[in-house]
Amino acid sequence: MAWERRGSNLYYYQSDRVDGRVRKKCVGTGEVAQAIAHADETIRRSRAARSERARVKLEEARTLASAGEELWEAAEILAVAQLVAAGYHRHKGEWRMRRRA
Amino acid sequence: MLELPEDTRERIYELQELSDKAQDDDEGARQELRRRLAQEVPEVVARCSDSARSYRRLLAKRSSGGSPLREEAISERARRMALELAGENPTPLEVLLSERVASLWVLVELQEALLAAWYYKAEGASPAFVLQMARLQESSNRRYLGAIKTLAQVQKLQGPSRVQVNIAGNQVNVIR
Repeated sequence: MAWERRGSNLYYYQSDRVDGRVRKKCVGTGEVAQAIAHADETIRRSRAARSERARVKLEEARTLASAGEELWEAAEILAVAQLVAAGYHRHKGEWRMRRRA
Repeated sequence: MLELPEDTRERIYELQELSDKAQDDDEGARQELRRRLAQEVPEVVARCSDSARSYRRLLAKRSSGGSPLREEAISERARRMALELAGENPTPLEVLLSERVASLWVLVELQEALLAAWYYKAEGASPAFVLQMARLQESSNRRYLGAIKTLAQVQKLQGPSRVQVNIAGNQVNVIR
């Protein structure tokens, strides 16, 4: 969205994307164009705020999920160590007792 | 945010190395692994269990939406779940693995609630946001199921080595 000067007048332009290409459309000049520009700006800010809130939520969810990662890995290592020490070994994802020679 | 103490982390990675060697038929490594597990694991597991409980409290607090009652209810439900999963007279490792399952359950529930709350808000959510949240949820769910599987394997495989004895009228599991 932008104002462009043509001669002595300022014209308000809207742009959107059609089939991957940016298309500019002249809205006009004067009070009506100013009201539309104001509405466009309000919508743009509202979208930006919503997107920022979503980003924060997602970041928070990621942080919470990753906070326990090291701990879960440690528990897995301990479980495997316990089973290996007890004489088991993993065969194609399945734990089996090792045969004694 | 939630990190294991440095020395605990080092010991765990040393155990992993020994465990890898033992899996490659290194009998010496297996003997050393057994010795280390007997000497060090109770302390290492206790530290991990402390961290697991702290993590669960953190998740419960976040899930509660600021309500102390809900926070307590979630913590209590997770605690009971962990107790039930661990079974009677669990080994320290079974306690840790059960706590892991309970904490991941809280995490999965939290993520579902977050996504649902965001999705049903009047303003809606962008497809990109929903997709990324769904991926995160899927990853936690996979980890949750993996944790249940590991606990079940440990309980199943350690099972026969346990002897149940009667001490003062109580059945107690003793690891041989």
